[in-house]
Formats: sequence, C-alpha cells, structure tokens
Amino acid sequence: MKNSPHHRLLLPALLGASTLAAIPTAVAEETALPFSPKVSVILDGVYYDDSLDGSGDEMLGETAGIFDAHGHAEGHEHGLEQGFNLRHTEVVLSGSVDGMFDARLNVAISDEGDVELEEAFFMTTGLPAGLRLKAGKFYSGIGYTNEKHPHSWDFVDQNLAYRTLLGTHGLSDTGLQLTWLPAWDHYTLFGIEAFQGDNNERLGTEAEHADELPDRDKAPRLWTAFAKWSPDLGYDHALQLGASAAFFRSHQAMHHHGEPEEHGLDGDARLWGIDAVYKYDSGRAYGQGDWRVSGEYLWVDKNLEVAHHESNPGVIGEARDFSEDGLYVQATYGIAPRWEVGLRYAAVGFTNETRGPRPAVDADYDESQRWTAAATWHLSETSRIRAQVAQVSGAFDDHREDYTQFYLQYQMSLGAHAAHSF
Amino acid sequence: MLKRLITSLVFLLPASLQAADLRVIATTNSMGALVSGVGGQRIDLSVLAPPDRDAHFLQAKPSMMRDLRRADLVISVGAELEAGWLPVAVKRAANPVIQPGQSGYFEAAEHLHLLDVGESGGGHVHATGDPHFNLDPRRMLDLLPALADRLASLDPAGAPHYRENAKRAVARIEARLPDWRARTESAPGAVFHHADTRYLMDWLDLPTLGYLEPVPGVPPTARHIQELAETLAGRDGVIIHAPYHSERAPRKLANTLGWPVRQRYTEPQSPTFDAWLELIDNWVTALATGS
Repeated sequence: MKNSPHHRLLLPALLGASTLAAIPTAVAEETALPFSPKVSVILDGVYYDDSLDGSGDEMLGETAGIFDAHGHAEGHEHGLEQGFNLRHTEVVLSGSVDGMFDARLNVAISDEGDVELEEAFFMTTGLPAGLRLKAGKFYSGIGYTNEKHPHSWDFVDQNLAYRTLLGTHGLSDTGLQLTWLPAWDHYTLFGIEAFQGDNNERLGTEAEHADELPDRDKAPRLWTAFAKWSPDLGYDHALQLGASAAFFRSHQAMHHHGEPEEHGLDGDARLWGIDAVYKYDSGRAYGQGDWRVSGEYLWVDKNLEVAHHESNPGVIGEARDFSEDGLYVQATYGIAPRWEVGLRYAAVGFTNETRGPRPAVDADYDESQRWTAAATWHLSETSRIRAQVAQVSGAFDDHREDYTQFYLQYQMSLGAHAAHSF
Repeated sequence: MLKRLITSLVFLLPASLQAADLRVIATTNSMGALVSGVGGQRIDLSVLAPPDRDAHFLQAKPSMMRDLRRADLVISVGAELEAGWLPVAVKRAANPVIQPGQSGYFEAAEHLHLLDVGESGGGHVHATGDPHFNLDPRRMLDLLPALADRLASLDPAGAPHYRENAKRAVARIEARLPDWRARTESAPGAVFHHADTRYLMDWLDLPTLGYLEPVPGVPPTARHIQELAETLAGRDGVIIHAPYHSERAPRKLANTLGWPVRQRYTEPQSPTFDAWLELIDNWVTALATGS
C-alpha cells in the first residue's frame, strides 16, 4: 500500500472542497454561467453472498494469468464481503471555473471514512477547431466502460475483463488529454493522452522495492490513443465504434510472493482494445422497451526483462514476455416502466501466457468466464435497487473453481442531476 | 497573394453558401418553432429532441455532438429541463461559441419569470423553476423579442428581418388570445399525467384536478388512481395525457368518473411557428371537451 491514494481527511476535505466550490458562484454573478457549480452525492450499498462462504468476490481479481503471476502487490482491490457492504460514497463537484475552463472533482469515501481522489481535473471550453485539453487526474478515454463511474454501470460490479486487465477502476492516472472532434458529417473523435504511468492498479509502474530495479524512464511513461466513430442512424438508434491503444514505456513489476522467488522485471507493455455500443430508444415512457448493448475486447502484451533476482543473478537480462486478453458483451432491456433486466458475459485468458528463453519459465494459464444477470428497479430518477446473480467458472493458481454469487444493491443520488455521456 | 486566392475561392462557392445563414440548433420543437418564426429563411434549423419524446429523459448522443460542433447558436429551454444531456453534449461538442455564457448559447428560461422557483418537487430536478412554459403564450410572447435581439447580435445584417418577424409573430399570438380564452371560459379543469401543464392552466385560469403520477417522474399506481377517483367523484373534467404514456391508468380513471380522455403531445409536431399555434389550439380544444 505504499502508493496508496487513501488519506484520512474526510470532513476537512469535503468542507474545503465546498468552500472552493463557492468561489465560482461569486464569479458567476458577473459572467452569468448557467451550469456552475454542481454538487452530488451517490450512496451505494450491497448485500453480498456466494457459494464459497463469501470469498468469491475477492477471488475475481485473482484469476490465473499474467497479473496474478505478479503477486498481489497492486494495492487496493475492492472485494465485497459476505453480508452488508457500504461501497464507496461518491461526491462529485463540477462547474465552470471562469468561462474558459470547466473543472470537476470526484471523491470516493470508503465505509471507514478514507477519502480517495478518483478524479480531479480541469478542461478547456474555448479551444478552436474542435480541440479540448484536459489536465489533472482522470479516467482515461480509452475503451467504452473505462470512463464510467460505478453509479452509471448497468451491473453491480466491473466486468471481469476490465477487473483483470485494468483493475476495478479501469485505467486512471495523472496527466494530459487532447481530443479532436473534426466537423465531419459523422461523429468522429480522436484522442491522445500522456500520463505519469505509475498510479494504475494493473498496468504501469507499481514496483514496491524500486531500488532493486533500474531507474525508470522519465514521465510521461504511459501514452494512449483512441478513436470513436458514430454513424447517424436517426434518433431511435445510436451506434458507436471505438479503438484504443496504450503504451507503457516503463513498466516495472516486483514478484515477491511465494513461488518463484522474489525477482524484478523491467520493460514495456501495450494494451489494444476495440469497443462497440448500440442503443435503442423505444420512445416509450420510463425506459420501457429501450436496449443498450455493448462489448469490448482488450489485449495486453508485456515485453519485460529480469532486472533483479533474489538468489539467482544468472537469469538477469532474460526476457519474459506476457500476454493476456479479455472481453465482455452485455445487454440491458427495459422490460417494464422503470424496470430493466441485463445479461453479461465476460471472459479472460483466451490468450494467457508467459514466454521466456527457456521452457522452464514458460507458462500457460487457463481462461476464466463469468455470466452475470441483473434486474434493476429505478424507483425514480434518483434511486434504484438492483438484484444480481453471477456464475463464475474461474481458473486460479492451481485449480479451477465454479461458484455462484448473489448481490442486492441500492444506489441513491442526492443533489445535482448528473448528466451522463453516451 | 494568399488573400486574393481566398477571395477568388469564396466567389467560386455556390450562392447558397454565401448567404449569412446561421446554423441554429434548438433542443425542442417549441424552441425551434419560436426561432423559425423569428429567423425565417435566414437560419438553418435543426432540433435535437424528437417531438414525441420527453425532452427531460434524452441522452447525449454522438449525433447531437456532431450537430452542435458546427452550430452558431443553440437554443435551450433551460431551468434544468435538459440537465441530463445538454450540458454534456454542449461540452463534448468542442465548439467554443455555443458554451454557456457565450452569445451562441441561449437559454429561454433565463429570459422569463418562472413558476415554482426553489421547489424541489419531491425528487424531481426542477429546483430552478418549472421549465414547461412552452404551452404558455404569454411567456412565448416575452421570448420572441429576446430571440430577435440574440439573432440580430449574431447576424447584424439580418437585424431588421428578425425584428420584423418577431413583431409579426407577436401579433399572430395576440390575435388568437381572445378566442382561446373564450373557448375555455366554462371548462371544468383537467387531470394530467405529469406536472407539465401548470403554465397552461395558470394562463387560462383553470383548475388542475390532479396528476396521474403520484409523484413527478413516478408511474401511476393503482392506489393513486383509486384515490383520484374518490376525490373527483361527481365532478366534471377531462383527462389529458401524452401518447407515449400508457393508456391503462387514464382509461381506468375515465371509466370510473365518466370523463373523456384526450391525447396531446406537449410539443408541436414540427418546428414551425404555425405548428406551435396549432398545438395551443389543440390543447384549448382538449380542455374545452370537459365542459
């Protein structure tokens, strides 16, 4: 937990934030900025149980593969416990800074009062030619699900592909993003990002004993690029296709967890992804008859070298190449006014291997799959209750485990109506 | 040299592209009707929300951002009606001239005195006031000159055109007002599906007898319909709901009370000033059927 983003400063942080939020209001009186600033709070609670006495949710982040092989040094996973769980309470402040910039702060408060900064960024509103620049800490624009916060997921939890390859929160880091929306006949968006590259759950530099490893490259250590395209299908139908890539030019990892003995790896890593989302708006009241279908495929490939070994310096310099992929496909349907049902299939590890110069270091891992079914009741625009069942067929260290999970969730939002992107 | 090249290229463009057409985006057909009444042939108008949809529940779609990307002016209802999608669509459109606070951003509610300002409405989003003023001719009268001013500031060459059109539109509304009031003078009032008719009833000075939704945004319940039936037994009235709402609850209440049911959209079916006048006329007719 060395690089843990948690800090114990619950009330002072929030009071400070609301004081800051009051400043743009004063400016707004002069310049009349209609949207600033807004505050919202989202409460999120889950009752959880499974056929493994409650250990099944934690295990989802540890399926066999190239990430599990690194040992469990990645820090904060959010495993649910059997019984009642208060998930992170989200506090969102957003608004115009001065007419040239928008700013947004997303804070997650744990059930113990730890405060985690999920996002804190500003964004330009006045650049010409369809350009926008974002700076600060934010969720990367890669993929489709990556930018979504838990309160806008269609299921209780993150899909297995993201959770395994990117972590519960997806790819989130501190840096810059530049997007370009050309004035074309079809919506087309291009984006590039440069990140610090050491604050990710699953990719980037996470080594805890960095003094054993060579100096890292200078930041930015993580670059991403993405493109999205949407044809015009009229109002009822909307389709968006996307492709993303991420390049971690300085990826380091320490393996210091049981077998094999402690060793450190240094090199680079790449992530490729494609995504598609389709939405159908039936035009009926309260979401009845609406469809949302989305899917993504992600592939991670790491080219590393052994840079440190506890007992066998002879292997230093040997290559270790890792690759693993994952996908999810999900659909929700408005079965009745304010009622929605959803089904999701997610899998990781169709490709799931370690390769080195000697057969002894080669490893092949099994794939893991998960089916999830959910029913959501939107009591109003601001409160919802969701029941979810999941069936896992997972590969773990040395065995397979099939188990069933059950979730009952509430989400309540207070304050400003959060506007959501597509 | 370069300047001469550009000038000659401009003269090569088709005549239609040389006209000072403003690209205007309206969020609803009502706003589109107003701006087309004022802008006439000098604007290219497109509307984001289809008329048979509740503008409150739309989503920011890529095609909206594409349209907004090239717009000179966006005209919204405001008062948080479009809060769930317009702020995101406007931001993501990456078009500096239509950002809030810029002259290319016109929020109608900012130019009006609204009803119910400061009421949270039991979980509903309109603490900034009731945004459903599109059925209120008085407020539309107030908006016409404000819109003409805004269009004139963006396209000064068209200023006389816009002001003349606005004046003509005002006159057309004023000519209809006595008839609309006379036809509803003895109307008994109505039950509506959703609380989006307060301005209309306030203007015509008619009683709202109830709403099918127990709480704004929550679908009708059997118990609530039963309560309405008991409260309204023995009275006259009419039930009016939008075609996109289920007919079950209004039919049930109508059968119990012996009232007529009328279906009315709250938006004109096309973004033209004529269509908006017809919409008001249709509502007046629906309200008068109860008598």
